[in-house]
Amino acid sequence: MPDYSTIGKSIQRIDGIDKVLGKSQYIADIDLPGTLCLKVLRSDVAHALVKKIDVSEVERIPGVVRIFTHVDIPGINGYGIIVKDQPALTDKVRFKGDAIALVAAENEEIAKRALKLIKVDFEKLPPIYDVWTALKEDAPAIHSRGNILTVSKIKKGDAEAVLNQAEVVVSRSYTTQRVEHCYIETEGGVAYIENGILVIKVSTQNPHYDRRDVARVLGLPMNKVRVIQATTGGGFGGKLDISVQCFLGLAAIKLGRPVRMVYDRQESFVATGKRHPFFIDYTTAANKEGKLLAVKVKIVGDTGAYASYGPATLVRAAVHATGPYEVLNVDIDALCVYTNNPISGAMRGFGTPQMAFACESQMDLLAEALGISPVEMRRRNILQQGSITATGQKMNKSVGIGKTLEAAWEKALQVMPGLGDERR
Amino acid sequence: MAEFHLEMKVNGKPIVLDVDPGLRLLDVLRDILHLTGTKEGCGEGECGACSVILNGKLVDSCLVLAPQANGQEVITIEGIAQNGELDSLQKAFLEAGAVQCGYCTPGMILAAKVLLDHNSTPSRLEISKSISGNICRCTGYTKIIQAVEIAASRIATKEGADHA
Ligand code: FES
Ligand code: FES
Repeated sequence: MPDYSTIGKSIQRIDGIDKVLGKSQYIADIDLPGTLCLKVLRSDVAHALVKKIDVSEVERIPGVVRIFTHVDIPGINGYGIIVKDQPALTDKVRFKGDAIALVAAENEEIAKRALKLIKVDFEKLPPIYDVWTALKEDAPAIHSRGNILTVSKIKKGDAEAVLNQAEVVVSRSYTTQRVEHCYIETEGGVAYIENGILVIKVSTQNPHYDRRDVARVLGLPMNKVRVIQATTGGGFGGKLDISVQCFLGLAAIKLGRPVRMVYDRQESFVATGKRHPFFIDYTTAANKEGKLLAVKVKIVGDTGAYASYGPATLVRAAVHATGPYEVLNVDIDALCVYTNNPISGAMRGFGTPQMAFACESQMDLLAEALGISPVEMRRRNILQQGSITATGQKMNKSVGIGKTLEAAWEKALQVMPGLGDERR
Repeated sequence: MAEFHLEMKVNGKPIVLDVDPGLRLLDVLRDILHLTGTKEGCGEGECGACSVILNGKLVDSCLVLAPQANGQEVITIEGIAQNGELDSLQKAFLEAGAVQCGYCTPGMILAAKVLLDHNSTPSRLEISKSISGNICRCTGYTKIIQAVEIAASRIATKEGADHA
């Protein structure tokens, strides 16, 4: 390889020195004088209509500056990266943790005390905690459009016919769990007005999208909103969504004072997106030589109360359902379903790790059924130059997965002596 | 509540303060002394982001009440570079690519420092154990362990040279 100045070299991070010195300013480190503290009242029921919010006792507490509810939203009360289905402050609760009221107070202690004194009357609705109940025809609708958010399909060849005649067929169900990103820095931000422009500094992965949603919810033109990404202590997909942005913007424009909001760990767990739990029915057919013939998969993803990145995650799941293998007959359905569970959104791999678990388990089971080694089973099906993917893409440039497989196998033999002894 | 008269040494400097006795050492460092290199990740002793060195030992400053630090010596991430020169651990973390989002970094470096102060030729296992109370969600730890190895070998070489 020619000697480049940067490519092929290890480059020191531009923010590295400040980070090792402890000088980087994350949100919680920013000290703005006169800042109000914001806290959100979150629902402790999973599914309900908010009938009445009584703040009369709270407003009398010295140091409480203002309480906001859904009636105070100046713009359109709905944000979301793909579907604008999440209210900043809601009048219908869709999960335990939905935001109902926002308190601005002189300090954190007062804000916390205020939260305890807000009284909310709910009309409870039957909560739905699993996708199968949500999919029933008579299930209560969590959103007005129903509980099925999206259906993504990939069809190629005639999977059904091949499955009926194949020499080996393996059929299993797989479930994967909800996972929290757990970045070590929780969500947080500060906001203030500068020359008539709302400035929001926030721990985020998505400043441009944040800006669009804040402008929408606050009824402001985009050029009146500026979002600055602060040094961000981890995101992993979880900081692509709106967290504190709309709360900060609302309080800052209404009160004209700098405001600040930092989630504690519990609030970060309760209020923000997770990895989608998947329910996967997977059937694979192969011939005696171990060549994959057909794959039929049904995936149901629990996106929880709001869409977040759910539709895209389920598309990705469908596209990756066959793994890095060539299969000629493919029949995939991927449903993204609302429940009253915590929100699921983007998380590293975006639906792919869940599918890898199912697909690779199938490969092992097929290898066992055929009496060939799991590595060999993969070798015989791995995508290579000229292969056609499940979505019909011809891989006509370089394809590296075969080399990766061999390198991984070599490494496995090194670190796990004895692995190659039997049937490999 | 009556204020507590707190005297301690932070990064070599004597500190005298009257504080609310309910404050955590973490709050005193961050909110009063503005040493914000010490981070809060969980507030309950799980993550290690708030690690500081208290009388030579690594502690979670979110679990130490301010009065418990009375008369003690505290070292934070701000106190380990000497005369504008990075500590060998700080340099090694940069070199090895052991810093990503950086939120765990101050605590990690201090945890490793306590190890190297007592044992300049640690094994991989000893390094892993020394940072076992500090969670990093970004790096997967491999680079952090490498960084501590680099720092240890430099310290050993330097000590060797000093003795020669
Ligand atoms: S903040 Fe102290 S251990 Fe997490
Ligand atoms: S570098 Fe992000 S948590 Fe360790």
